Amino acid sequence: MTTSVASVQVKTSARKQKLWAWVVFVVGALYFLLPLAATFYWSLRAEKDKLGFEAYRRLFADVNFLPAFSESIVNALAAILLSLLLIVPTAYWVTLRLPKLRPVVEFITLLPFVIPAVVLVFGLIRLYSRPPLLLTATYDSSRVVLICVYAALSFPYVFRSVDNGLRAMDVRALTEAAQSLGANWFTILFRVIFPNLRVALLSGALLTFAIVIGELTIALFMAQHTLGPYMANLTRSKVYEPSAMAIVAFALTWMALGLIQLVGRGQQGQITGGH
Amino acid sequence: MNSSIGTDTRSNNKIVGGARRPSRFQIGPWLGVLPFFIFSAMFLIGPTLILGYRSLEGTDGALTLDNYRQLTSESVLSAYGMSIRISLTTAILGGLIGFLIAWAVSIGGLPRPFRSLTTTFSGVASNFAGVPLAAAYIFTLGRVGVVTALFKLLGVDLYRSGFSLYSFLGLTLVYLYFQIPLMVLVILPALDGLKREWREAAENLGATPNQYWRDIAFPVLTPSILGTMILLFGNAFGAHATAYALTGGLFNLATLLIGQQISGDVLHNPGLGYAVAMGMVVIMALSILVYSILQRRSERWLR
Amino acid sequence: MAYLILSNISKQFGDTYAVRDFNLEVQKGEFVSFLGPSGCGKTTTLRMVAGFESPTNGTITLDGVDITDKAPNQRNMGMIFQSYALFPNMTVTQNIAFGLRVRNMSKADVKERVREMVSLVNLEKHVDKYPFQLSGGQQQRVALARALAIRPGVLLLDEPLSALDAKIRVSLRAQIREIQKKLGITAIFVTHDQEEALSISDRIVVMYEGNVEQVGTPFDIYNFPKTHFVATFVGSLNTAAAEVLDPAKGLLRMDGVQFFTAAKMDGLTKGDKVRIAIRPERFSFASEVKKANIVDCVIENITFLGSVVRVHILIGNSKFTMDTFNYPSLELPKIGAREQVTCSKEAVLILGAAEG
Ligand SMILES: Nc1ncnc2c1ncn2[C@@H]1O[C@H](COP(=O)(O)OP(=O)(O)O)[C@@H](O)[C@H]1O
Ligand SMILES: [Mg+2]
Repeated sequence: MTTSVASVQVKTSARKQKLWAWVVFVVGALYFLLPLAATFYWSLRAEKDKLGFEAYRRLFADVNFLPAFSESIVNALAAILLSLLLIVPTAYWVTLRLPKLRPVVEFITLLPFVIPAVVLVFGLIRLYSRPPLLLTATYDSSRVVLICVYAALSFPYVFRSVDNGLRAMDVRALTEAAQSLGANWFTILFRVIFPNLRVALLSGALLTFAIVIGELTIALFMAQHTLGPYMANLTRSKVYEPSAMAIVAFALTWMALGLIQLVGRGQQGQITGGH
Repeated sequence: MNSSIGTDTRSNNKIVGGARRPSRFQIGPWLGVLPFFIFSAMFLIGPTLILGYRSLEGTDGALTLDNYRQLTSESVLSAYGMSIRISLTTAILGGLIGFLIAWAVSIGGLPRPFRSLTTTFSGVASNFAGVPLAAAYIFTLGRVGVVTALFKLLGVDLYRSGFSLYSFLGLTLVYLYFQIPLMVLVILPALDGLKREWREAAENLGATPNQYWRDIAFPVLTPSILGTMILLFGNAFGAHATAYALTGGLFNLATLLIGQQISGDVLHNPGLGYAVAMGMVVIMALSILVYSILQRRSERWLR
Repeated sequence: MAYLILSNISKQFGDTYAVRDFNLEVQKGEFVSFLGPSGCGKTTTLRMVAGFESPTNGTITLDGVDITDKAPNQRNMGMIFQSYALFPNMTVTQNIAFGLRVRNMSKADVKERVREMVSLVNLEKHVDKYPFQLSGGQQQRVALARALAIRPGVLLLDEPLSALDAKIRVSLRAQIREIQKKLGITAIFVTHDQEEALSISDRIVVMYEGNVEQVGTPFDIYNFPKTHFVATFVGSLNTAAAEVLDPAKGLLRMDGVQFFTAAKMDGLTKGDKVRIAIRPERFSFASEVKKANIVDCVIENITFLGSVVRVHILIGNSKFTMDTFNYPSLELPKIGAREQVTCSKEAVLILGAAEG
């Protein structure tokens, strides 16, 4: 008699656990979907008495939107390229020839988590807004600094994903094999290492894109006309367009991260930060 | 394993014999990493050092700790206080809720697809910060937000009864939107690290599920949970964009205070501004340090 | 009545049977091994005994009580896992004490029992260490002490030695057996390693694809395998197709070579095709001893295996191997030489009708 009671208890406690899991999930889903649903609802209401995509039309028709958007995309792509050019050789050499430097490199790549963006831009302005290091004199030179800072902000993600990629493919064996076949290091890097790092490079790049594309703080204080400041301004000045913009931004982020999942099935190692 | 290359070349030289070359210093690798160091010095380290240096400069240009002493002045302390309060609250709440969600989709027994859905969504939501997030909340819980309107239909006027999106409570709700997903992402691997055999061994030795959670699962997870909460603390503490977009930069928060100081010397003392910024760096550095110590400890267990 | 009885146990996962109609009676104090290749259902059977899986069919009784539906934490069985499964947040002492603490044993008694267990597995020097500070063999000894501390009715071991180095595996195997005998505890030991099963068990259950192939003492299993699977899985074996010449005399013919066998040939008549099997170590050179069967062969190859020398020979057109002990005065024939080898009647096994 007692035996079957015990087993019934085990089964009901497993069922209870599952019930709680559902409760947690549903409540969580509500919390996360509600703001999106509300925003989407607003974005459809720009025209009186009917639902439609007027807000989106107006957003894309705004003379300032597309220039800001395209400038941000160019900035993001430039930052990604710069970051890869800096990180891949560094991670490669640190793995292969300079293991003593690893802790230093790891420490530096973590700095963007330690220095808040607003502090970083504060320091940049103080450092580069007067001679001898006058780098923020014109809009375009400031833009270059902005791109460089974005590249630096991407270090934690790009380094981690490249480092994981290098570990996964056994760089040493590949390098030695290539060397024994007479390849020089340039060939090794561009013909052997890069192609094998495709997934790592792509996911690092996409994550950087997601973080940089709508960045506000640094662009704002460096007076850049990019998407972040544009959106902040829009939120203050317009009624319906900001909702369309938020939905577009959410879709963009979703696309970038969805692509990461797609290219890097099973690959771990992304975290986030820096708001 | 890491250092074996050096010894390899040396032993090769010996075998080749004859002309004993001095161990040759290779310039290539150093040239390969040099751009990284120069770049980091220019865009990460330099800007921080200059703030550190200026924060030690008095009005007369001499080195002094005066600026740091003034951190206890009312205006600075209240901004730091609010930042710390919000960061602590969202770290603890975000940590607990994120843990529950991670539990539900892993151990809780929800069907497999819910888990990948949750991780993908968490990746998106933890990056969905700044202006779009602020905007989404304005449309939800702002004065004319959808939820505010729904409450009005039910006869509750949120803003009359003291709620405001532009307050401590409002900002907490907004921050949780990226804090909870971050917790989910970081804590899921730790939950996966709980081995099925531990539960079974405990059960086998006569323990109830509660005893298993109390004596094994929770103690094993504690370093990860605490560490991740500290990470969340830093994440909220350094956040600027979301609060700026929500409040126009006028809320009493450390990051917003620094922003105001950049635009115009609101503290009426540039040196104090630098000290406030450096204070933030110190707090962030401490939280990352404690995080990595705790993380290392839990990795040792969860190997 | 037997102490632990599994009757007609089956376990289905979806449509596939992991275990099918498993019957076994284990006496108190007996050491029984489940032996079989990976995926044959050993773990599943053990987990049903432990209570982690519930059988689709059948009953399990322990000491006369039906425990088929009892929760795992009510069964009082000690389980040992391949991965040790020590609690990482507890020291050796705390790990061993865990099962006693959840039983609300008094502090003094817990202390005394832990001391006893620690000395049983020779871990006195490591009582305050955490699992990650111990070697694999030490961890498994802690796990053993932890499982034994609760004075379990049955000790269940799921491939406990598979993750260890060869040397430690052998010494820990002996220790486990010694402790089991000393405490008189009933044990079920799962392994895929036939040597391990043969060396440690009172009885072996050989399993294949969810079915019990044969139950018997190590001696029986090795010398009198009942099925083709058991014969080939346990130890190495030469097999060949043969034809029955005279069932009464036990006479067979393989490739024109005649063999006498001691195996029963009930129901076989002249001309039937059968499969015969001879273990490599049952052959000797006819120059040294002479047994019932003496046959001609050609030496094809010779391999040194340490204590044993394996000689590949050709009898008729069939390849056989023979093992002989390696001693310094051993004189080995040349490759390609014609020799005579010999084996007894008992060495020639019949595995049932030859396929094809
Ligand atoms: N939880 C499960 N769900 C589905 N199939 C399982 C499960 N556990 C075991 N099996 C299947 O049952 C068979 C026997 O597994 P197992 O008992 O683990 O084998 P062994 O321990 O002998 O290697 C295998 O084919 C395995 O794939
Ligand atoms: Mg198994």
